[in-house]
Formats: sequence, C-alpha cells, structure tokens
Amino acid sequence: MVQKKQSIAWWGFLLIVGAIALAWGEAAWAQRVTIDITQPSFERIPIAIPDFKRQAAEQTQLAREMGETLANDLDYSGVFRPLDPKGFLEDPQTMGLTAGDIKFPDWRRLGADFLVRGAYQVQGSTVKMEGRLFDVVGSRMVFGKVYEGETRNWRLMVHRFADEILYALTGERGVFDSRIAYVQAQGKTKEIYVVDFDGGNPVQVTRDNNLNLSPAWNSNGTQLAYVSYKEGGTKIFAINLMDGAQRLISGHPGLNISPAWRPGSNELAVTLSKDGNPNIYLISSSGEVIQKLVQGFSINVSPGWSPDGKRLAYVSDETGNPQIYVFDVSSGQKRRITFSGNYNTAPAWSPKGDWIAYTSLVGGRHNIAIIRPDGGEVRQLTHGEGSNEDPTWSPDGRMVAFSSTRGGASAIWILQTNGTGVRRLTQSGGGQELPDWSPRMSGR
Amino acid sequence: MRCHSLVRGLLILALMVGTFACTKQNVPSQPGFGPGAGGLSEGEGTGGPGGTGGGLGDARWRELGLSSEQEKQEFLAKSQRFENEDIYFDYDAYTLSEPAKRILDEKVAFVKRFPKAKVTIEGHCDDRGTTEYNLALGERRANSALQYIINSGGSRANLTTISYGKEHPAATGNDEASWAKNRRDHFVLNN
Repeated sequence: MVQKKQSIAWWGFLLIVGAIALAWGEAAWAQRVTIDITQPSFERIPIAIPDFKRQAAEQTQLAREMGETLANDLDYSGVFRPLDPKGFLEDPQTMGLTAGDIKFPDWRRLGADFLVRGAYQVQGSTVKMEGRLFDVVGSRMVFGKVYEGETRNWRLMVHRFADEILYALTGERGVFDSRIAYVQAQGKTKEIYVVDFDGGNPVQVTRDNNLNLSPAWNSNGTQLAYVSYKEGGTKIFAINLMDGAQRLISGHPGLNISPAWRPGSNELAVTLSKDGNPNIYLISSSGEVIQKLVQGFSINVSPGWSPDGKRLAYVSDETGNPQIYVFDVSSGQKRRITFSGNYNTAPAWSPKGDWIAYTSLVGGRHNIAIIRPDGGEVRQLTHGEGSNEDPTWSPDGRMVAFSSTRGGASAIWILQTNGTGVRRLTQSGGGQELPDWSPRMSGR
Repeated sequence: MRCHSLVRGLLILALMVGTFACTKQNVPSQPGFGPGAGGLSEGEGTGGPGGTGGGLGDARWRELGLSSEQEKQEFLAKSQRFENEDIYFDYDAYTLSEPAKRILDEKVAFVKRFPKAKVTIEGHCDDRGTTEYNLALGERRANSALQYIINSGGSRANLTTISYGKEHPAATGNDEASWAKNRRDHFVLNN
C-alpha cells in the first residue's frame, strides 16, 4: 500500500543521511537496518513526542496521555530515547501537523532524530487519531496513519501506531499490544491477572477464590491455561479470554502442572505424576495423553517449547540437582545444557530461537540468565538484586519479563536482553509472580 | 425405678446432645477449601478437624468402621498425633531420614490399625526454590512417605498425595530454622 512504499523509500533516504548526521564510529546506517539491540553498545534513537493536538473540545486530557503512552512504548522498546517535553519550544496545541508547518531546525537543535506529531478528535464515544512520523534531519515525513474507533480503545490505537514507528525504522513490528499474564497474591488466594505491555490496565481473569498458578498463553492469545487447586490437587484448566468460559484440561491423580502450549498447534506439554514420577507428557487441548515425552525416575518438570515446536527445554534433577535439558521430540533424545551452578530452573525459549532464558541460583540468589540452546554461551542478566525468577520472552525476543523481589514484595519486572532498560511492570500491592508474555495480538 | 429411668433418660439425652454438639464442631468446610481438597481452611498445617477434641458424627464413625467407645477414644487420641507430627527433609531432597522413618513407622501403625481412615499426605518445600520445581519436589516428598507406608504393609486404597510446593509454609522466617520447618510432609485425615 502507499504508506508501506513510503516507508521503504524513506528507509533508503535515511541510509545516506543517518551516517552523516550521527557520526557513529562504528555502525553505518546500513547496519542500523537490522539493529542488534541485544548489544550493550547500541545507542537509542532520540525522538521528540510532544502532546497530541486536540481537535475538539472533548477529553482534553488525552492530549498529554496519548503522547506519554506513545513515549513510554517507544522507550520500553529499548530502541528509542524520548526527549523531555519540558524542553520543547512550541505549544503542541498551536504547533503544525504537517512537514510544511514544522520548524525542523529547532528540533535538530534539541537533539531529536525523529519527531512525532499526533492529533485526535473525540466525538461522543468515538475518536479519530492521526499520527505522523518525521525524519528531523531529512525534514520530511516518514509516514502517517489514521485510526478510528471507540474512545475507550485509544490506548490500543497508540500501541498500534508505536508498532508502525518501530516497523518503519527497524523493519520489525513492536510488541506494544502484547499483554503479560501473571499471578496476583491476595490474602490466602492467588488469581490470574493480565496487564498491558506498558503496565496499564491490569485485569483480573480468574475468580476462583483459591490457589491459581502458572498462566500460559496459547498461540493466538485467546486462551490461558493455568494450574488451580480449586477442585482438590493441582489440575490444569483453560479460560477463554473472549467469553470467560472455563474448562478442565488435565485432572489426573497427582500433579497436573506447568502447562506449555506447543507453538502452531493446540497441544500442550504438561508435567504429570500419574505414573508415579513427575514426567513431561504431550496432551491434546481436551486432555488426552498423546505421548509421554520425558520420563525417568527423577523430577522432570517445566517444559518450554522451541519456537518451531520440535524441541523443548525442561528441568531435570537426574544428576542430583535441577539442571536445564533440551529434548528433541522426534528423536526422543535429551541433552543437558547447563553446567554452571547447581540450581537451574524455569527455562523459557526465545521466540527468535536464539536463546533460552532461565533462573539460575548464583551466590545464593536466583538470577535471570540466558544460554544458547546448544549450551554454548551463557549471559547473566540480573545480579543479585533480590530474587529474580521465572523469565518469559516478549514475542519479538528482545525483552524478558520476570518476577523480582528487588523492590520488596514480588513484582513483575522487564529488561532488555542486553541487560539494560530494567523497568517495573506491576505496581499493585500483594505480590505478583509467574509471568507469561502473550503473542502479538495483531497477529502479524 | 423411676429414678433409674430418669437417670438413664438423662444419660441418653446427654449422649445425644454430646453427639450433636460434636457434629457441629466437625462440619466439613466448603468444597475446595478443606485440607486435601484445596487446603485453605484455618488451622491447616497444624491439625484439622477431628484433632480438636470432641467426637465425630455418626456417619464418620461408620465410615471409619469404629463402633465401640473404646475404639473411638483410641482413634481420637492417636489421630491427634497422626496429624500433628510432620516428617522433615533436607534441602532439595526427598529421601527419608532415619528420624523420618521412625515417625512414619507410627503412621504405618495408625493406618494399619484404622484401615478405613482416609489420609492425604501433603508435600511441602521451603521458599528458596522456584515455584514449579517446588511443586514437583513436594510431590516427590509426599510420594516417598506413601511408598514407605505401602512397603511397610499399609494399604494403598485410602491414601492420596498432594503437593503444595512452597505455597503453604508452616513458618515464614528467612532463616534456616524456618526453612527447615517448611521442608515437610504433613498428614491429614479426611474422615
């Protein structure tokens, strides 16, 4: 479509301008097209996002809120560094919206590489939102988009726009409309909640008034499997997020825990102890056992699928303490990959396939680490700030959410895989733990 | 004559009142909240219904197959100890220590003596490990006790296990003394 062509055309333009304007010692713009933001040396792109311009009298507060939500999204992506709006010279409500009206030299002087001009018009229960991304150095518009819908969905529109910005400049969509499921402790019970990528809009999903654990998103983000004690013993249930319907998936005697949906299918890997030992089984979404995957006489638990669904990482204590193994479904072969430390659990395989995140006990504290699926390289991402457990990957494989007690009670935190950009996601009281990151909701 | 029948009547009345009163004391908690069925009732981990003294309802005694007063008293006395004495484990281990086995021998004697008693063996962990691994570890701990009881001649039929991982600690301190109290199997009578 027209906008896409514009993006690609401007990409080519930026190739030349970027190298001159930014004067990096290392990366030319050509390399920036496939930005490796997992490298600590990556420098964020400065971007200016003034308040959105309001074009009607209703909902005046959205001018600031839309701007801030967009700035947070771009900040949280790890790719951008939003400039402080206090330094902006013009009043966003009188400032122009199109290239001809924008004073690009002013923005260049402020240090912005890019500028976003947004505007919105609320009419009753609907809103029309416009957004334009400008290349400050090139003094041109990169692309523009219009969104229309119910006013109460304005956040989603901003998230979609943030996705487009990231796509235009890095070639890959963001994850701004993804959500994170987690366990919220309240008194003696634990329930499943879901929160937006930016920490907004926490929603209670289960109301079982019991002990619920281990939420797990299915491949298209429509269902959450989870573990509950509400029918006595650990059993796995699924809840449909569209209509709230619940069903029992697995209720064998003994353990029914650690559900993990197999990518691209409706099957799940689960841990069952019905045959006398905690082992990993492949089951259908209606609970029939298809196959025993990992078995033995030790604890085998916590399956985490590779993105192609052909292998899974899991935890076994067959050597005497818990370590991470990789199991190949078709060959039935298993292989230990962690050899450092004596307590390694909770593996999660990146959607990009390039890393497995896990929890590693180091110096008496749990930390998040990542390891290559062949065990080749290990990086520690947290360093003893409280107890850090249960990592889960963003759908673009760039970020990891995890629980941490670094702030006191357990909360969900997020970091970039280069170890930077650490932020706290959940702010409520009680404790939050066991996060699971949804797929991208828009499906692309 | 009249005196005796009056006394007898009063005795019967007292017995009836006593029975009903005890029934009230032992009304089962809501489904899903009882120990062994969810485990969120008060006093969980320190002794459940039946351990607080008083008697059980008639239906319960029938389920247990106990009719004589002497048997009932024996049950009440021994069930207190059965539910209040946990066995403990080393860190990240599910093997039974010698002291644990001695306590289990008493549990074996109890289930042999009262073969219709329904028992849930709960496996627990301290909170230093991660959640899912601890659920599996708790299960192994419960199973260790189960296997020991079965191998010692206890009947499998009325025994179940449940793991609570690190979710229901007995002690909440951040020290070895507290952790040691949490690495346990706890035994609950369901009738």
